[in-house]
Amino acid sequence: MSERNEKVLMIPKIKLGIVIDHIPAGEGVKILEIISRYEEMQDVPVTLGLNYDSKKMGRKDLIKMQLEFLSPEIIQHISIVVPGVTIKAIKDYRVYSKVVVQAPKVIKNLLLCKNPNCVTNLESGIETLFHAVDEESNRVRCNFCERIFDRSELKPIIK
Amino acid sequence: MKKDLISMEDLTVDEIKDYLRLAHSVEDLPADERYRLLQGKIMAAMFFEPSTRTRLSFESAMHRLGGGVIGFAEKSATSVSKGESFTDTIYTVENYCDIMVIRHPGEGTARLAARVSSIPVINAGDGSNQHPTQTLLDLFTIEKDLGKISGIKVAFVGDLKYSRTVHSLIRALMKFDVTEFILVAPESLRLPKYFMMTDEPNKYHFYETNHLEEAISKCDILYMTRIQRERFPDLLEYEKVKDSYLLTAAMLEEARPHLRVLHPLPRVNEIAYDVDKTKYAGYFPQARNGVIMREAILLKHLGVKI
Ligand SMILES: [Zn+2]
Repeated sequence: MSERNEKVLMIPKIKLGIVIDHIPAGEGVKILEIISRYEEMQDVPVTLGLNYDSKKMGRKDLIKMQLEFLSPEIIQHISIVVPGVTIKAIKDYRVYSKVVVQAPKVIKNLLLCKNPNCVTNLESGIETLFHAVDEESNRVRCNFCERIFDRSELKPIIK
Repeated sequence: MKKDLISMEDLTVDEIKDYLRLAHSVEDLPADERYRLLQGKIMAAMFFEPSTRTRLSFESAMHRLGGGVIGFAEKSATSVSKGESFTDTIYTVENYCDIMVIRHPGEGTARLAARVSSIPVINAGDGSNQHPTQTLLDLFTIEKDLGKISGIKVAFVGDLKYSRTVHSLIRALMKFDVTEFILVAPESLRLPKYFMMTDEPNKYHFYETNHLEEAISKCDILYMTRIQRERFPDLLEYEKVKDSYLLTAAMLEEARPHLRVLHPLPRVNEIAYDVDKTKYAGYFPQARNGVIMREAILLKHLGVKI
């Protein structure tokens, strides 16, 4: 993408809002899907940008939302499905805080166990629980059936 | 605080040693003394799938300690079959007893029960996940028969791919510094590779073979398991391998003098009857040790000191 048409395609700068940056290209849709599941986000204007040039990543996706505050629950949810993204808070067109979110070591009731014979899939209303087995939280163990999965292969819980 | 027994993975080596020590003490107690230890206590044996041996072993343990037993032996006898949730069953039954022993085909069920229950929960098998009392009784048997656990050489024979008993025992033995394993299994039923992956690859050695004869003279424990027909996609393949893992008395001629043959039972056709009369047969005493270990477990989790 050249400098020139980037300007044309660029989502306009926002005065007040939240930007999720450094999303690996193709993962933006996943985050959008998470956001759209939360009732508090139903009326929030959201823009998704795909395949931007990035010095660091080659290509990246970007999400802008017109709201002041993103709930910790949503941030945690995003951190589990697409860890490593940067969440920036914007005020008067300026970034006034930013944080790189990493997947937590303990993941409570945010992911579904993939084992069909796991009690969390057999009984209704059971909160799932996973613990990371490596430093990066890429591999997680189900607290119930004790099976180990790649975090990325587990579906997020739809609330 | 109440203490549950859900998974071997929750236990440190010292905690496992504590169970073994306690089992030895239980065995040394005279029967009339033993019989007073759990008088007035009630154990609920909640078996959501049949497992006659495990259930009888637990019930025998509780009776030997003077306690009472209630329970059911299969799901159809419970309110769950009428649509009651598992947790409702736990909330109800916990009012009837002092300790719960749970067997369930769903993995993680005992963990869930322990979380919602106010009384101790013992896992008697949750699907293909954990069966900690089996592993503890196996360790107790090995320690009794050989006088030690660390440094011994163990051969596992049969279905090493799906056997929960084998997986759990291998991991426990590794904690006890057992470093040499002989794995005898047909190609399609070999031990999953991730069991052999450790942080100390130079410490542990796994020898894989298809031939039972190769293992017999080289090990201290020969742990046999059932090869289940259902595990084979091709029945012809099953017919081919089933007899090659049949242990006979004649094959034990080259065995080390202290070798013990163990088996979680029931056997089908892995051990010929003529092995029973040899000094190597350890599987029936193993069943006896199961009751002793479960007595120790009941005492420990009901907080009774001896
Ligand atoms: Zn699970």
